[in-house]
Amino acid sequence: MLNIFSVNKSDDEKNAMSKNVFSTSGRLSIEKLNISYGSNHAVKNVCMSISPKSVTAFIGPSGCGKSTLLRAINRMNDEIDGCKIEGEIIWKGVNILGKDVDPVALRSKVGMVFQKPNPFPKSIFDNVAYGPRIHGINEKEELERIVEKSLKNSALWGEVENRLAESAMSLSGGQQQRLCIARALAVEPEVILMDEPCSALDPIATAKIEDLIEELKKNYTVIIVTHNMQQAARVSDHTGFMYLGELIEFGDTEQIFENPKEKLTENYITGRFG
Amino acid sequence: MAAFLAIVISAAIVYTLIDGSVDFFGSPSVDILDFFTGTKWTPNGTEPRFGILPLLSGTILIAGGALVLSAPFGVGAAIYLSEFAGPKVRSIAKPVIELLAGIPSIVYGFFALLVISPIFQVYFGASYFNAASAIVVMAIMVLPIIVSVSDDAMKAVPRSMREASLSMGATRWETATKVVMPAASSGIMASILLGLARAIGETMIVVLAAGSVARLSFNPLGETQTMTSYIAQVATGDLPPGVAVSAAFAVGLVLFIMTYSVNSVAGRVVERIKKGSAPKHSEGKISRALNFIPNILLALVRRRTKIVDSQSFLRFRQMKGKIGVYFMGICLLMAGIFLIYLLGTVFAQGAGVINWQFLTKFPSYVPERAGIYPVIIGSIYLVGLTMLFAVPLGVGAATYLNEFARDTRFTRFLRRVIQNLAGVPSIVFGLVGLIIFSRLLDFGPSLLAGAMTLAIMCLPVIVVTTEEALRGVPSTFREAAQGLGATKWQTVKHHVLPNAVPGILTGTILSLSRAIGETAPILFIAAVFSKVAPSGIMDGFLALPVTIFYWTRQPNAEFHDLAAGTILVLLCILLTMNTLAIYIRHRAQSRRDW
Repeated sequence: MLNIFSVNKSDDEKNAMSKNVFSTSGRLSIEKLNISYGSNHAVKNVCMSISPKSVTAFIGPSGCGKSTLLRAINRMNDEIDGCKIEGEIIWKGVNILGKDVDPVALRSKVGMVFQKPNPFPKSIFDNVAYGPRIHGINEKEELERIVEKSLKNSALWGEVENRLAESAMSLSGGQQQRLCIARALAVEPEVILMDEPCSALDPIATAKIEDLIEELKKNYTVIIVTHNMQQAARVSDHTGFMYLGELIEFGDTEQIFENPKEKLTENYITGRFG
Repeated sequence: MAAFLAIVISAAIVYTLIDGSVDFFGSPSVDILDFFTGTKWTPNGTEPRFGILPLLSGTILIAGGALVLSAPFGVGAAIYLSEFAGPKVRSIAKPVIELLAGIPSIVYGFFALLVISPIFQVYFGASYFNAASAIVVMAIMVLPIIVSVSDDAMKAVPRSMREASLSMGATRWETATKVVMPAASSGIMASILLGLARAIGETMIVVLAAGSVARLSFNPLGETQTMTSYIAQVATGDLPPGVAVSAAFAVGLVLFIMTYSVNSVAGRVVERIKKGSAPKHSEGKISRALNFIPNILLALVRRRTKIVDSQSFLRFRQMKGKIGVYFMGICLLMAGIFLIYLLGTVFAQGAGVINWQFLTKFPSYVPERAGIYPVIIGSIYLVGLTMLFAVPLGVGAATYLNEFARDTRFTRFLRRVIQNLAGVPSIVFGLVGLIIFSRLLDFGPSLLAGAMTLAIMCLPVIVVTTEEALRGVPSTFREAAQGLGATKWQTVKHHVLPNAVPGILTGTILSLSRAIGETAPILFIAAVFSKVAPSGIMDGFLALPVTIFYWTRQPNAEFHDLAAGTILVLLCILLTMNTLAIYIRHRAQSRRDW
């Protein structure tokens, strides 16, 4: 079995494994995933397969478990006391929920952008350089190169080019969120998880982020949770509708919005509840 | 109305200190310039010299030394508590820290002189009185302040920051040291400043353990005197009356100014954190300091092998985190071990003397016949009276401030005055009590004067905790009552105060338990020895902490056992009061339906 995240493997094993890296696709297969906090069964028996280099959206009313599902993909739920997870998420031939997978290593491959912009109270430069630094890059030129590239990729470079030393707190909400995206990109992940990235932003800032998501899917697998159905319809290639912890329907975005198979999905999309 | 009291108290403090200082500087043997620059402090010599530098150096040596020791441990323990400890560890560690904070300083003093000092004498050749033991024990005493304030500051860092860092593949250790710590750095600084102010103002440890010779020296193994211990020396009557006594007021004034300024800086920082304004970013110094120990250990292990591939780099990072966490955990563990050691030694020494006779007989110069009956009664009267004065005034002032006063410059100023009053060294309250209550109001060395002194010391704490309790009552209650046409006064009386009672009670009990353990403020007023229990409020009195103090100072080991026994009695009373407070808080919380 391939295991690129495991910490304790001999060199032989690693060599044997690295040959397989390119032969397996970057598809994320979620299998019989159950997540509960105490008595609250937040995600129920979810199975789905997420294709690489595309945008997948999770929609559904508040509390339906979509954020919890998203957070399982880079094991952020590990940080919450009393959270129990069963099932598998297979990525590159490895069950990333397995005990032998180091969440720290996983998260450097699966980045995340949160609901509210959460820049560190540091300079713009230091925010973006934080990830590369903890992963051991200390040369100044190299860091500068990464910061510039990440900021360009998140469409923020032009606005902050001349003020990299200023505090990230001085940016507007939309700029902060794009900074957070740049910060996630700087670690060079393969998958980017976005947890309602636009819910705290105004329409203009939201449009910029949506354009950016469009751009990102060329190189990254993007999974986005959103409240906003129009947004899901605009940016995503595939959409999953969740309700009360269950994945009700999952398919191409066009099909979900124009021709839903389930009654529940139709009711939600047409605004009869939510 | 009641709120003006804070200003009256502050004025009384300032009046006392300045009046005494004027007296002092007015006397012919004193030269103002020499006071600030002189290097000799020999108040009872044939040719007395009053240069404050030796006292300052003693204060800096002891308070600074204590801080150097306790700041790293305290911050380390706080990191562990806030970032790594599970709920189980927290539920044990929090009470331990609170217990350490609740132990009266006289108990720490006893411990410093009779347990820690001998260690330094034997292994380092220190003198009987030495600064080192005071430093070590004071470090333990300020530890809880640093731990709890730092812990609060780190807890206040939004969870989203931690998640952002973790989601980029940072380890928890990296998250703690590179994101949480820098974001909380101003709060951590404030905790250290608060600890410093407390250490500068601490009296009993120094008086008991460090001796009474003022010397301009930073040798921790020798005797030293601090500003507080000089004032205490005056209080215990070891000095000839006259200039030497009035010098205490000048020293008190310097001490007051020092602690007041340190406290107001710290207070302002804490206030800013509470308001949630963005903390200033201070770059990686803290993180570098924290990574120091893991780095050294790993350097030894690694033997300079270059890390090339990312796999082993990750392992290296994880390892570093683990070592770091263990060290922080050890910091916390030390606090627990120390508490057990302290209680253990006191118990071992004191348990033997406690019997029926000890609790019911009167003190005696013959250790075998000594009892502490009038001492217990004295302490109970004292605290009862203190409560009588402090509670109505404190609750009244808080109610006025929180319910009736508008948020003006004046009330903000009042609040700050009250907060700073809470940080005034207790020995300064002793001076005030002596001048204002004993002399000016002519109560003499009576229970009344003692209780009033303790009352003004407790008042700020009661005001602050009461205000917090009042603020906990939802404003919807007030609006509902006023919407029905109730007057403001009726609203407060029927709806706000009753709902705040549990909070007020807990705060009051905790501040009174501090009063019962306080030695320094009543050192001037309490009697050394008495055959009878007090029968009226104008009688002289004995109190538990003062008796512990005098018995600990006796050269005779039998008296030390008696002191330990008295400490046990005092701790029992404190424990009962604290348990009561916790019970009330717990019951109120479980009953609350809003």
